[in-house]
Amino acid sequence: MLRAQLGKTLGDFSLDVSLEISSGSTLVLVGESGSGKTTALRLLAGLLDPDSGRVAWNDDTWYDGAGAVAIPSWRRPIGYVAQDYSLFPHLTAFENVAFGLPSQHGSGGERRARVSMELERFGISSLADQKPHQLSGGQQQRVALARALILNPSVLLLDEPLTALDLTTRRATRMELRGILRTLTCATLFVTHSPMEAMVFGDRIAVLEKGRVIQAGSRDDLLRRPRSAFIAEFMGVNLFQGTIILRDGQGLARLGTATGELSVVDPGDLESEVFVSVSPREITLHRERPGGSAQNVFQGIVSEIIPEPPHGERVRVAINTRPPLVAEVTRAAVDALQLREGSEVYASFKATGLEPYR
Amino acid sequence: MIHWLSARRAVSLAGACLGITLLLVLLGLPLLALVLRVPSVSVLHGLRDPEVLQALRLSLISSVAATITVVLIGLPAAYLLATRTFPGKVILEAVVDLPLVLPPTVAGLALLLAFGRAGLTGRALSFIGLQVPFTTLAVVVAQTFMSLPLFVGAARAGFASVDTRYLDAAKTLRASETDRFWRVMLPLAAPSVLAGAAMAWARALGEFGATITFAGNLPGVTQTMPLAVYTALQTNLDSAIALALILMIVSLGLLVAIRSGRAASMPGRNHAARAAR
Repeated sequence: MLRAQLGKTLGDFSLDVSLEISSGSTLVLVGESGSGKTTALRLLAGLLDPDSGRVAWNDDTWYDGAGAVAIPSWRRPIGYVAQDYSLFPHLTAFENVAFGLPSQHGSGGERRARVSMELERFGISSLADQKPHQLSGGQQQRVALARALILNPSVLLLDEPLTALDLTTRRATRMELRGILRTLTCATLFVTHSPMEAMVFGDRIAVLEKGRVIQAGSRDDLLRRPRSAFIAEFMGVNLFQGTIILRDGQGLARLGTATGELSVVDPGDLESEVFVSVSPREITLHRERPGGSAQNVFQGIVSEIIPEPPHGERVRVAINTRPPLVAEVTRAAVDALQLREGSEVYASFKATGLEPYR
Repeated sequence: MIHWLSARRAVSLAGACLGITLLLVLLGLPLLALVLRVPSVSVLHGLRDPEVLQALRLSLISSVAATITVVLIGLPAAYLLATRTFPGKVILEAVVDLPLVLPPTVAGLALLLAFGRAGLTGRALSFIGLQVPFTTLAVVVAQTFMSLPLFVGAARAGFASVDTRYLDAAKTLRASETDRFWRVMLPLAAPSVLAGAAMAWARALGEFGATITFAGNLPGVTQTMPLAVYTALQTNLDSAIALALILMIVSLGLLVAIRSGRAASMPGRNHAARAAR
């Protein structure tokens, strides 16, 4: 189990996160660029010293701000794969993979056999004599992984391992990498800016924003109860954050957000800091103010109409209501309502089923 | 507008042509003059002259010894200057660079005051039976002193240009600082280090002022090629020219070797950088 508590200030950016990764599992740290993912990774690797905090692998302390313990990177049982793979340009793929093996340990033949085995495992035996600049991105990635994993690290740190690849290689490599990570017994920290990769790789996922973890949990937690605009945007849901300001005593309540109010299911308390997510498919659009049972009705101007892949039969309509909403309707509905950018429109959705969560 | 632009272009073109011509005249003409003045027979004749051979041999031995010393002293210094910050670094840098701007005779005088019999360490040195001035050792010391900054400058720039990504990668692969130096830093900085060593060698080969001040001009002991040229100039112009030509060919060959070595190592480097990006 890796336990880390990291505090670091760099200029006007500050990072303050706590992480726990158990052996054989993968924690994905996901966030936009500048959220501090790479900094967190470098702090764990010992490439950067925290200002405060503690990093420990089982009973071994790697860093302790109070106890003044700081084990240097090269003494930590880690594997680190940088975003650009950082293969040594003056060494062949073979020599790159062999780099970390102690030279005095075992005979030369033993060492060579060990490297050959690792190359075999990653299917790159034929590339052994190639220099990094002769390798494709996907091949470089495999060499970098082999170079890290040959040392049997206790903690594997991956910094955006798929980002440097082009789109077509990325999909194949993603599946391959997932297969490899599943067989590992080390604790893996996977850093990415892609929520999709987070969903694919993460046994647990931590969402990082401005140097803080704003949500951590399983894939399902995140999907069911998103708490960040980042994940909500990825999932394509409308996310509202606010305070319960009024309970009507009949099972419904008013949620006040920074950009407007909406009706939700009464959570049973006057609460601050709750979230509600509304699927765009639950939002209906009208030209006239609708009557009926929908408790949330908003008026606004259509700001954008985006056809959904693959055929554009469904369309996402962004409306600048307060709060702003995205609805997903059929193309037929858009045509029937004669909607275009700039049209005035009413959006409605039911309050029942909108369960606030913390 | 167009006329004005093209006029300006013509002026700058003419300026560039004039500049290059002047440069060629200034640098190339002396070389040409030297070559033209040499009757090939006298070069061969000069090569058979024992004093010329002596000077040539001494020059080679002392400059190689100086270059080795420069590398041994300069490599750690260049590495420290490239990778560390410490109080007084600016002063150390200035001291290292000083021989570049110092008149060589002043450098020779300073060496004399430091290691001469009446100098700072003279007594200590003679106590262990070592007399430096006016020996071959003094030639090596003078050449080392004068060529050290050239090597340190080049090697330091080479170390500083090694991408920290590779050093970080090495750190996470169990490589101690010593390992990182030998296995990452030095190989990646090798072209600059070698170029620095070659420049230091060329400088040592051509050293005159500090050598004649600190080591004197004793044939067979301290009379290197440049000193022999100077001496011959006063008695026998033909040997002087022959010696000068040999010196110039060796220096030019060295410089060409440095340039082409650097050019050969560059494409690979750019390639690697592109692939990494």
